[in-house]
Amino acid sequence: MRTIINKPEVLAPAGTLEKLKVAINYGADAVYIGGDAYGLRTRAGNFSFDQMREGVAFAKAHNAKVYVAANIVAHEGDVQGAGKFFRTLRDIGISAVIVSDPSLIEIAITEAPGLPVHLSTQASATNYETLNFWQNEGLERVVLAREVGIEEIKEMRRHTNVQIEAFIHGAMCIGYSGRCVLSNHMSMRDANRGGCAQNCRWKYDLFEMPTMGEKQTETDPKTPFTMSAVDMAMIEHIPDLVEAGVNSFKIEGRMKSIHYVSTVANVYRRAVDSYCADPDHYVLNQDWVDELWKVAQREMSTGFYYGTPTQDDELFGKRRKRPQYTFVGQVLDYDAKRQVAMVQQRNNFGVGDKVEFYGPHFTHHEEVIQQLWDKDNDILRRAPDAMMVYQVPVDIPVKAGDMLRKERAK
Amino acid sequence: MLLTADVDTLYLGEDFFGLRLPHSFKRSEVAEIVQLAHAAGKKVTVAVNAIMHNDRIAKVADYLDFLAALQVDQITVGDPGVIYLLQQKKLNLPFIYDAEVLVTSARQVNFWAKHGASGAVIAREVPHDELTEMVTELQIPGEIQVYGATCIHQSGRPLLHNYFNFVKEHQDRADRARGLFVSAPHKPETHYSIYEDFNGTHVFANNDLNLITKLAELNDLGLTHWKLDGLFADHDQFVNIAQIFVAAKKAILAQKWTPDLVEQLDGQVGANQPANRGLDTGFYEIDPSEVQ
Repeated sequence: MRTIINKPEVLAPAGTLEKLKVAINYGADAVYIGGDAYGLRTRAGNFSFDQMREGVAFAKAHNAKVYVAANIVAHEGDVQGAGKFFRTLRDIGISAVIVSDPSLIEIAITEAPGLPVHLSTQASATNYETLNFWQNEGLERVVLAREVGIEEIKEMRRHTNVQIEAFIHGAMCIGYSGRCVLSNHMSMRDANRGGCAQNCRWKYDLFEMPTMGEKQTETDPKTPFTMSAVDMAMIEHIPDLVEAGVNSFKIEGRMKSIHYVSTVANVYRRAVDSYCADPDHYVLNQDWVDELWKVAQREMSTGFYYGTPTQDDELFGKRRKRPQYTFVGQVLDYDAKRQVAMVQQRNNFGVGDKVEFYGPHFTHHEEVIQQLWDKDNDILRRAPDAMMVYQVPVDIPVKAGDMLRKERAK
Repeated sequence: MLLTADVDTLYLGEDFFGLRLPHSFKRSEVAEIVQLAHAAGKKVTVAVNAIMHNDRIAKVADYLDFLAALQVDQITVGDPGVIYLLQQKKLNLPFIYDAEVLVTSARQVNFWAKHGASGAVIAREVPHDELTEMVTELQIPGEIQVYGATCIHQSGRPLLHNYFNFVKEHQDRADRARGLFVSAPHKPETHYSIYEDFNGTHVFANNDLNLITKLAELNDLGLTHWKLDGLFADHDQFVNIAQIFVAAKKAILAQKWTPDLVEQLDGQVGANQPANRGLDTGFYEIDPSEVQ
C-alpha cells in the first residue's frame, strides 16, 4: 500500500499562548505567532519573550514548532534593534521567522545566524525564479502569494527545491499582499506595518466622471461596489496540494478564537493524516466540510488555486446563509467517577440546550444538558458568567481540552 | 515629442512585463524609440517591473537579452525572480528596483544595491521627514515621483468585471480609457481611479501627485531623479507638463528658483491637468507620526 512519508505540516495561527496550546493540542505541527515588534497584527495578542519561552517549551513537549511573524515593511528607524530581537528568538528556540522586508531578511541572516528565515506571503512570490532567488539568499522556505494556482505550484516544484508553504484556509487579501496601501491613503493606517483598516471590504460608489465633480454613477443602487474576498477553504482539495509538493499548509487567523483555531486545525490534521496514510483510497469526509462551516465567518472558495476568481469568490450584496454556532465553553477537567465535566463558560448556556462536545483527534458527540451546578454544588438553570467554571454531568466521557458549542437559534 | 521637451530619460515598456504603462510598446517600437532617444543623447528605461507568474518569468530571459542587445540604458524590476535571472545571465543591463509601495527604507534599497541595482524608485508613501533620513544612508540614487497617478492597490482579480457580472449588468469595458472611479463610504467627494488590464485591477490615490513646489527641497536632499507618470494625462498636456518640470530643473540649476516662478509653474501644471483629475502633494508633507 502506498503511503506518503513526507507529510506536509499543518501550520496554525496562535494569537495568544492559550491559542498556541489549543492549536497544538488539536493537531497543528507548527504555529505562528507575533512578537512585540516587527509584526503585522498589532491588534492580535502578541507574545513577550517569556510567553514565547513557555510556548516553545509546550511545543517541544508535543513535537511541534513555533514560528514568529516579523513581516512589516519597515520605514526609516523601524528596524532598530531587530538584530538583537532575532538573536533572542533564536536563543529562545523559535524554529523560524517569517519576514517580507529584505532589510529585515538581511538582518536576520547576518545578525542571527542559525535562525531559519521564511519569506512571508506579503512579498508576493509568484514564480520559481523568485523562489530560487530567496533560497540563494539563505531562506529555508517561501510562503507563496495567494494568487498562485495548483498547476503553477507543480511547475515551481520542477524548478526549485526550497520549501513551499501555501495558505489553505482563512481570510484573504483581495489584492497582491503587500502591494496594497488603500489603508494608508484612505485611513492613514499603514497596511504594511500592522495598521490595515480592511478598506477593501468597504462599500464604494462606482462612477464615471468626465469632469471633476460631475459623477455618472455605475453602481447598482441595491448592490454597492466592493473589493471583499470570501474566505479560502481547501478541505476538498488536500490531495492536489500534497501531490503538488506543498510542504506546509497554512491556516490564516491570529486574531481568531480558540473555537476557530481548534476546529480548523482538527479538521486539516484529520484530512492530511487520512490522505497520507492511504492516498489511493482516500475519500473526503463530509463531516470535515460541515465542521469548517460551523466556524465560517464568510462564504468559502478555493481562491486562485483553480483559476482566476469570479464574482462568486467575492462578497457582493446579501450574505448567503450559513450555519451559525456559538462557542459556549471549554472542558477543564472531567470526573470519571461522577461523570461530571468541569466547564469554563465562554458564552451563555444552560439546561435544555443541545450542546456539541468536540475534542482533538476529531471526536464529537452531542448531548442535551440535563443538569448544571456551580462549584459549590448549587443547582442552576443557566451558566451566565464568562470564564466561571460550572459542573455539567455528561452521558459520554469527555476530556480536559474538549470544547462545547451550540447552534444559534435561527 | 517628449524628446523635444528635453527630458533626460524616457520610461516605457509593454504590459506583459511592465506595470501600469500609458501604452504597451511592441519590441520593434521599443527598438525604434531607443534609437531615436540615443541619437538625441537621451536615455531609455524599460519597465520589467510586473509581478511575474511562471508563464511570464519563462519569457523574461529572452526579453532581457533583447533589451541588452538594444543597449537599453536601464530597466525597472520589482520581482526578485528577474534579478535572479540577471545574476545568472550576467547581462550588462543596469536595473532600478521598483516594487512600488514596498520601497520604504534606505536599508532595503541598499539590499538591492548589493544585488546589482543601480537605483530604486522610492515609495510614494514615504513622507519628506523620512526622506531626509533616508538620503543620508542611500548607496544608490533614489528616484522619486514628482508628478502623476499613484497606484495604491493591485489585485490579480478582475474586480470590476466580477462586479458587473454579479449585478448582471454586462459591460464590456473596464479599461483605463473608460475612466471609472470609486468613492469611499460617506466621502462622496473622493474619487479613486480604478481600471483593469492584463496585470489585474489597479486603484489609484484620490489625486495625482504634483511636487513642483518641492523640487528645490528635493534637489537639496540630493534627490535629483524625478519621475513623471503620464498614465492618465492627455498626450499633448503631458508633454507640456514635462516641459514645465524641465524648466523647473533648469531654473534650480541656474539658481533662478523664486517664489514667483514656483507659483507660475505650479499654475501651469494645474492648467495642463485633465479636467477630471485633482492634484496634491500626496504623503510628502504628512507627519510620519500621523500614520498609524
